[in-house]
Amino acid sequence: MQPIITAKNLWKTYQMGEVTVVALKDIHLKLYEGELVVILGPSGSGKSTLLNIIGGMDKASNGELYYRDTPLHKADDKQLTFYRRNDVGFVFQFYNLMPNLTAYENVYLSAQISQSPLPVEEMLEKVGLSDRANHFPSQLSGGQQQRVALARALAKNPAILLCDEPTGALDFQASIQVLKLFKDFSETYRKTVAIITHNAAIAQIANRVFYLKDGMLDKVERNENPLPPERVTW
Amino acid sequence: MLWKKMIRDLKENKGAYLATIIIIVIGLMVFTSFSMVMDNLRLSQQSFYKNQNFADGFIEVQAMPPSEIEKLQDIQGINDVQGRLVKDVKVLFPNRDENVYLRLVSVDPAKKNPINGVQLKQGIPLSNKEMNILIDNKFFEANNLKLNEEIEIIADGKKRALRIIGVGRSPEFIYALRTSSDLYPSPESFGIAYIPFEVMKTLFPERETMNNIVFTLRPGADYDNVKERLKPELKPYGLKSIYPRKDQTSHLLLTQELKGLEATARVLPLLFLSIAGMILYIMLKRMVEQQRGQIGILKAFGYTHKEILSHYMSYALTIGILGGIIGGILGIALSFPFTTLYQTYFNMPGLTSKFSPLYLVLSILLSLGFSLFAGYQGCKGILILQPAEAMRPPAPPIGKKTWLEKITIFWNMLTVQGKMAVRNMSRNKSRSIFIFLGIMFTFSLLGLTWSMNDLSQRMLFDQYEKVETYDVKVSLSNPLNQKKVSRELNHFPGVTRVEAMAEIPVTLKNKWYKKDVVLLGIPEDSTLYNILDKNYNKVDPPKNGLLISERLAKLLGAEVGTKLNVESLMIKDPDKAKQLEVVGVIPQYLGLNAYMDINSLQEFLGQGELATSFMLRMDEESIALLQNEFRKSAAVSGIDDQTERLAQTKELMASFYGMIFILALIGIITGFAIIYNSSVITLSERSHELASMMVLGMTPAEVLSVITFEQWFIGIFAMLAGIPMSQILLIGMSQSISNDVYTMPTNITASSFLIAFFVTAASIWIAQRFAGKKIQKLSLVDVLKSRE
Repeated sequence: MQPIITAKNLWKTYQMGEVTVVALKDIHLKLYEGELVVILGPSGSGKSTLLNIIGGMDKASNGELYYRDTPLHKADDKQLTFYRRNDVGFVFQFYNLMPNLTAYENVYLSAQISQSPLPVEEMLEKVGLSDRANHFPSQLSGGQQQRVALARALAKNPAILLCDEPTGALDFQASIQVLKLFKDFSETYRKTVAIITHNAAIAQIANRVFYLKDGMLDKVERNENPLPPERVTW
Repeated sequence: MLWKKMIRDLKENKGAYLATIIIIVIGLMVFTSFSMVMDNLRLSQQSFYKNQNFADGFIEVQAMPPSEIEKLQDIQGINDVQGRLVKDVKVLFPNRDENVYLRLVSVDPAKKNPINGVQLKQGIPLSNKEMNILIDNKFFEANNLKLNEEIEIIADGKKRALRIIGVGRSPEFIYALRTSSDLYPSPESFGIAYIPFEVMKTLFPERETMNNIVFTLRPGADYDNVKERLKPELKPYGLKSIYPRKDQTSHLLLTQELKGLEATARVLPLLFLSIAGMILYIMLKRMVEQQRGQIGILKAFGYTHKEILSHYMSYALTIGILGGIIGGILGIALSFPFTTLYQTYFNMPGLTSKFSPLYLVLSILLSLGFSLFAGYQGCKGILILQPAEAMRPPAPPIGKKTWLEKITIFWNMLTVQGKMAVRNMSRNKSRSIFIFLGIMFTFSLLGLTWSMNDLSQRMLFDQYEKVETYDVKVSLSNPLNQKKVSRELNHFPGVTRVEAMAEIPVTLKNKWYKKDVVLLGIPEDSTLYNILDKNYNKVDPPKNGLLISERLAKLLGAEVGTKLNVESLMIKDPDKAKQLEVVGVIPQYLGLNAYMDINSLQEFLGQGELATSFMLRMDEESIALLQNEFRKSAAVSGIDDQTERLAQTKELMASFYGMIFILALIGIITGFAIIYNSSVITLSERSHELASMMVLGMTPAEVLSVITFEQWFIGIFAMLAGIPMSQILLIGMSQSISNDVYTMPTNITASSFLIAFFVTAASIWIAQRFAGKKIQKLSLVDVLKSRE
C-alpha cells in the first residue's frame, strides 16, 4: 500500500538568539490511508512541530517529506496553501472558530474553498449539531465548539486530518464524543487521522502509536485491537 | 525600563505611528504656516496703514477746484482731506507691443503727513520743478527700470517723458488692479506713478481741477454721517462715487485674503488633529487590550495605576511631541516661501517671515493636547482592571446577527467572507464610523479640489471664450456718440464688425439693500458679447427691464419681477427716482453686472446715443495697427486684446494648480493613513481568525479580502455620503471666496466626482496592499498555539 505521508530524515532546528534549538531529529515515518494514529509525548518533545510540518504550516530544516508523490519539502508558500486547502484538515486545542460566523457558516467557510467538499448539513449532523447550526461560537459549549471545528475540518473532505490536543480543553464526556467522531471518520471515509496528545489513554483507540521524546521518534507500536473510544477511561 | 518597551512597541508598529505623526504634521504645518503668514500680513498692513496715513474714505468727482476741496476740511467728522488728480495713461516702451498702463496719482510734495503717503524705497523725494515721478516698486522691478530713466507716456494725446527719480509704494495700492474685472495684479502691464500736482496739471486740459479726493475721519466719527454731509457739497462738481475704506479694492481683497487664511488656519488643523487623535485612541485602546496580561503582571508587581497609565500615555506623549515639533518647524519653514509668494501679490513693506518660537510652542501644545486627550481616552481602561482579572484573558468576542441579515436578498448574495465582514462592521462600530468618516473626508476633499479646478476654469474661460467673444475692446475716456465712433472704427482696415457698449455705473436699490454696479448696455443682436443662461443658451439683453446676475439678485434680495430703484450720475436728471424691473436672473462668474439693451439704456439715461466702449471683430494682423493708431488718442483710454487677456489668465492659473495639487495630496495621504492604520489594527486584533483561515488553506489574498471587503463596503457608502459633503464644502468655499470681482459656481461636475472616486479608491487600494504584506508575515504556528 502506498503511504499517504512519508517522512525521511526530517530535522527541524530553530535559532533562538544565539542558541540553536533542535525540535526534531531524524524523523522517519509513514502514514497510511484509513488509519488512525496517535502521536504521544511529553511537552517539548516535538509533537506539535511534527504535526505542523506534516500539515504544511511549517517547513522542515532538513530531510524529505512527501504527500503521496508530492515532495512537500520543495513546495513554496503557494503550493503549501493549496495543499492545506485541498488535502489537510486541522483541529486545534482552542477550536479557533470565527467568532462572528455561526456554526453553519464556519463549516461553510471551509467547504467553499475545497475542490470536493462534503455537504455542510451532513457534517453538522454527523457531529450532532444540526440544531445548533445558527448559533455563534460564543453561544456554544467547549465540546460543541470543538465539534464545529471538526465538522469544519471534515467538510473540506481532506485526505488527512491532523488534530493538535483536540481534547485538551474538554471535559471527559465531551472528549469521548469527539474521539468517537475521529474514529468514525477514519473508518467510514477511509481517511487518515493523526492525533497529538500527552494523554496516554487516548493511544488505546489508535491503530498505531508513535512515541516522541526529545525530538526523536522513540518507538512505534502497532495496536492490533484498538479499543472503541467509549471504552476508554482516564 | 518601561520606556524601552515603549520604543520597541513603537518600532513594531512604525508604519501606523508614522502615519499618525504625518497627519499631525500636515495639520500643524497648515496651522503654523497659515497663521504666521496671516500675522505677517496683518502686522505689515497695520503698520503700513498707520505710517502712511491710509484714507478712511474715497471720493470720485468729475472736476473740483483744489480750493473747494480744502473747504471740505471744515465738515464735521473729517480730520484731513486731500484732493488729487488721478488718470490712467498709456506707457510707450520701445520694442513692446502690449498695452502698458500707468495710473498717475498726483501728490503734494510739500504736504506733511499726507493721506495715502508714498513710502520711498529708493531715490529722492519729488519736486515741483520738473517732470519727475516716483514709481511703484512692482512696476519698476517687473519692467527692469532704472533710477533717472525716462519713460514715455501718452497724456491727452501727446507724448511726454517722465523721469523716474524714486521708487515707492502706498497703502492704497497694496493689491493693485487696473480694472475691477482683473483678478490678479499684473505689474508688467500696470503700475502706479506718483507725480506732483503742479507738474501733472500741465499734462491735462483740466488745468486747475482735481477728480479724486481722499479723507481721514476724526476718531469716533461715523462714516455714514460724514458721507451724508459731504454729498451736497460735492454734487455741483459731478460726484461719481463715494465709498469707505472697506470697499476700497486693494483693502477689500487684502481683508478677504486674511479672512480666508484665518478660516483655513483654524478649520483644517482641527480636522487633521481630530483624525490623528482618533487613530491614536483606537491604537492605544487596542494595545491596552492586547497587553492586558502584561498590565496584570505589572500591577501584580506593585506598579501603581499612575505608573502604568503614564507608561501608556508616554506613547501618546512621544507621538504628540514628535508631531508638534516636526509640524511646527516645517510649518515655520513653510511660512517663508508662503510669505514670499504673498509678496508677489501684496505690495507692503516689512512683509517677511521670521522664526517664531511662539508658534513652535503653540504647535507642540496643540499636538500634545490632542494626543494626550485621545491617549487618555484610549488608556483609561487600565485603571479599572484588577491584577488578577488583567492576567485572565478577556471575555471572548461575541458573535451577533446584524440588522442587515434581515434583508435576505442582500444577505444571501454575500460570500461567507462577506458575511464576516458585515458582522465585523457592527461588532466594531466606532472603528467602522472612523473608516466611514475618513473615507468621506478624503473623497469630499478630492471632490472639492477637482471641482474648484473645473469651476475656476469655467469661471475664467467661459467668460473669455463664450461670453466676451470680441477680439479687441476699445474703451473710451469719456462717453461719445455711438454712431460716430462706430462709423470711424468700421472703416478701420481689418475690422469686420463693431458693436457699441455702454458701461454705466449705477446704484441699484431694493428695500434696504443697495449695491453699486456697472450696468452694461449691449446691442440686441450682439454676437460679440453673449449673455448666457445656466444651460449656455443665449439670452437677449432686455428692452423693458434688467437682467441681473445671481449673486447680485441675492445681494439685492431681488427676483424676477422685483422693481429696482436705479440711481446714476449719468442719468439726465439724477435727482428723479427711476425704476427698472428685473426680467431675468443669469449666472455670472466674473464681475457683478446688470444688463440691458443698449438702445433702451440710452433712452433710460436720456443723454442721447452714448457709448463708453466698442467691441470689435477684426483680423489678428490689424490689431497692432489699431493699437498704434489709437494709442495716442486722448479719447481712448484702453485697447484690450482678448488673446493677451486669455494668455495672462492662463499664466496666473498655474499658481492655482499648485494649490489644488497640494490639497489633493493631503487628501490622498489622509485616506492612505486612515485605511492603513485601520487595516493594521484589524490585523493585530484578528490575527487569530486570520491565521485560522490561512490554516484552512485560504490564500493571503483571500484572507485580506475579509478586511478589504469591510473597507470597500463602508467605503462605497462613505463616498456616497461624500457627494453631498463636497457640495456643502463647495458652497461654504464659494461663500467665503465669492466677491464682487468673481463668483464661484457651486455645481460640482460629474467628472470631479469620478476623479475623486478613482483617487480615493486608489489610495484605499494601495494602503490595503501595504497591509496585505503583514498578512503574509503572520506566523500560523505562533498564533494558533496561544489561546485568544
